Amino acid sequence: MIKQHPLTILAPVKKDKVEELDKRLSIIRENLQNSTEAEFKKVPSLHYGRFVILSRESFRDEPTIPVGTRLIFSTNFDGDKDHHLTELVTNITKYIDDLYECCEGYPEPGNRTTESRKSYLEKYSIKTSAFYNGAPGRSVQQVHQESALRDHIWNYINNNKWDANATAVEIHKAIRKQIDSRPEFEWSKQKAEVQGINWLNLIGYGLLLIAAIPLIIVGAIYLFLFHELWNKKQTLTLSQLDDKKVNKLKEVEDLFPQNQFTQVAVLKPNFIRRLNFQIWMLRTRVLANNVFVHGKLLNIPTIHFARWVLIDKNRHVLFFSNFDGNWQQYLGDFIDQSGWGLTGIFSNTVNFPKTRFMITGGAYDEEHFLAWSRSTQVPTQAWYCPYPQLSIKNINNNTKIRNELRMDLNEEQAKVFLKRF
Amino acid sequence: MTPLELSEIQAYLFNEYKEMGSSKYYLLQSKDAIAAKKFLASVADNITHANATIGETAVNIGFTGKGLMALGYSNEENMHSFSREFREGMVTAHRQRLLGDFDSSDPSKWQWGGPNNEQVDIILMVFAKNESIAENYFQSLKQKFEPGLSIVHILDGKPLPKDREHFGFRDGISQPVIKGSNVAPAGNNNDLNPGEFVLGYKNEYDVYPDAPLLKVPQGNAKLLPDNPGGYEDKTKGKRFKDIGLNGTYFVLRQLEQNVNGYWSFIKKQATDENGNVNNAEATKIAAKMMGRWPSGAPLVKHADKDPGDDSEDKDDNSFSYKTEDEDGEKCPFGSHIRRMNPRDQFEESTAGVSLSLTRRHRIIRRVRSYGEDFIGSAENHTPTGEVGLLFGCFNANISKQFEFIQYTWANSPKFKRLYDDPDPIIGVRECPVTGAKQNFTIPQKTVNKVIPNLQRFVTVKGGAYFFIPSIRTLKFLSTI
Repeated sequence: MIKQHPLTILAPVKKDKVEELDKRLSIIRENLQNSTEAEFKKVPSLHYGRFVILSRESFRDEPTIPVGTRLIFSTNFDGDKDHHLTELVTNITKYIDDLYECCEGYPEPGNRTTESRKSYLEKYSIKTSAFYNGAPGRSVQQVHQESALRDHIWNYINNNKWDANATAVEIHKAIRKQIDSRPEFEWSKQKAEVQGINWLNLIGYGLLLIAAIPLIIVGAIYLFLFHELWNKKQTLTLSQLDDKKVNKLKEVEDLFPQNQFTQVAVLKPNFIRRLNFQIWMLRTRVLANNVFVHGKLLNIPTIHFARWVLIDKNRHVLFFSNFDGNWQQYLGDFIDQSGWGLTGIFSNTVNFPKTRFMITGGAYDEEHFLAWSRSTQVPTQAWYCPYPQLSIKNINNNTKIRNELRMDLNEEQAKVFLKRF
Repeated sequence: MTPLELSEIQAYLFNEYKEMGSSKYYLLQSKDAIAAKKFLASVADNITHANATIGETAVNIGFTGKGLMALGYSNEENMHSFSREFREGMVTAHRQRLLGDFDSSDPSKWQWGGPNNEQVDIILMVFAKNESIAENYFQSLKQKFEPGLSIVHILDGKPLPKDREHFGFRDGISQPVIKGSNVAPAGNNNDLNPGEFVLGYKNEYDVYPDAPLLKVPQGNAKLLPDNPGGYEDKTKGKRFKDIGLNGTYFVLRQLEQNVNGYWSFIKKQATDENGNVNNAEATKIAAKMMGRWPSGAPLVKHADKDPGDDSEDKDDNSFSYKTEDEDGEKCPFGSHIRRMNPRDQFEESTAGVSLSLTRRHRIIRRVRSYGEDFIGSAENHTPTGEVGLLFGCFNANISKQFEFIQYTWANSPKFKRLYDDPDPIIGVRECPVTGAKQNFTIPQKTVNKVIPNLQRFVTVKGGAYFFIPSIRTLKFLSTI
């Protein structure tokens, strides 16, 4: 099984090159929107890529330490990081050079080699605090292959006249025979490994959590008395947000069935809040690696990849996600399905809607939470996805199709298999 | 729960005016703001509110964002506190993508409300028992509004017999009811907190919907109540007046229905090799797409055959999906009604969670048909002239309700586990993106039946978002 990993590169932009960088990114964005962009495809290990210019103006709230303008490049990739970096600097060299030329310390034209470029990216790459993958183990190649398999079977089923008395088992067998006759699907004979819920780790985590109950209670009361009570009530609503800012975000939304979300927030400037944030990151890591392995993050069934990244000496936090559907649905899902998780994490950032014991208020304060989300969102300058027409549910369903195709199914199971189309 | 101030809320929100044979929407433009405000002052006490006894006529009124500004409610801060969707109106580049208004439905081709049409400021909705009463009543109103307002467009609607729409299906069976109103509870997860539909009350999240506030004093603000959501301006040490309280938003879209195209397409799916059309089969396919039979009876209860107009089940709204039709073999996942109200099977959630999620994305529909009094069927599907639906709906949050339903549940082909299935009635693109398929999948015992290459049979001809103020706010607006 090929594992997927996050890569985040945060490089300082030369003061006099911000505009130029923005211009260069706009060209890439336009090409991506018109589907005329052809470069990113040349990086086989790349699932999603995004470029964001993060400046002081990107922060809704006062940063706790001074920040300059930086270029964020984030990818989700298959396998080995070194290999991915090599692919990036050799297969899309022009992009890398054009963009990082605008950044500080990038090798001069004469000194640009695979190694020097890689070491530059490496130098500015930063650690991820928590990472979620909606289809663990599915490489870009596998996603495409399984999609082609599903489409092929779909066509086969629909172009055939099936005997009204044919059983699901018979049809399943006929499909397998058909696929066996096609050399291009030879790969499908090998079972796709799928990550299961790691019960052992989960039980360990549960026990730890039980052991920590007294601490959690004390912590929650402490936070309530000394922090939450003093937090300001948030009154900002969506209608009150700056039109220019919101329209800039909307300009690049809903162009495809999938969308992106980039956010930057400032952690509350005290030790206990930062500690609490780290604890929540730990929880998220444990759950994302062991429990949320079947395409649902905190019960939300539409997220392909998501990550939290602490920057600026752990004072500010970035959140990225790639999801199906649109903003209203996505944020609504967060409130409906996992308001507690979001509240736990983001209540440690400034001007988040007021919470009580980290449980109530917060994300459940719908109007103010939506306004908080929109106002801390940052426009994404360029965003690439190699499979924009597939939902995360489609991707996971396709893997099940592949695996069930090779299994000997009973009538009930074969019916379930056929219903996947 | 705060009791509803029924005598402040316009009655169309609660009352479909089913007994009214004539429904005319007059789209008006302000040409003299002072005279227009005079009209508002004179008509305010005649606007039908939810506590009024309804006689032979009823009248309700609403404003577009531009309309409020034309009247003089032009302070930027004040306008800015209206919801973004209302303020921007139905026609923006982003909203075109959300609503799917492309090709023949492109706003540039609309008959009203589009960028190439005259500006619509006010909607005057006039209802009457019959046409002659309607005409008399309208003439009396016209005398009052004419000095200040001119007519841009008239939409003439009426209910079709048996509550059908032109494609031939009984409509408006599942309708939310506002808790605490004078409408009998509907049961079946349809009784919702007022804040889903009325501004100034708590919604299904137990919070107040975004409210338009009088940030900068204007007009006779004494007429207005304080904002119950408690938004305070700390710097000025006072609460803002709420111009939204007891108001709501109304979405109106004129949808032309190509009845002939619709039934011809469906009959093609029920034609054998020799060219023989099976009308009963065609009706069944149409019912699968709708989720109900022409009579209104739900497929979940009657999977194979329409029990007919005499059956009590034509009004049945008591079914659930998860318990009665989990695999969609009776009512397909892609069918119109299963998308518009997913009931207890919202995505993969448990029944309880699904029900509460569904409650946050409902609309109160107010529809009228226009054109010939024609009810389509497999046997008879050629009306004379243009026919269509005046789709209207009330909601307190246009983005969370109407737009969410249209985009996420109707237009998105990824609803539930589907791959390429938009809503077959209202979500199909006329010219799909290159390479994109548009299918309708009918789950069956073994292999699913697929109807490929769906076509669009609904064309948007006009549309706008309106603010429907309380009676008090209407009086206030006449003083700005």
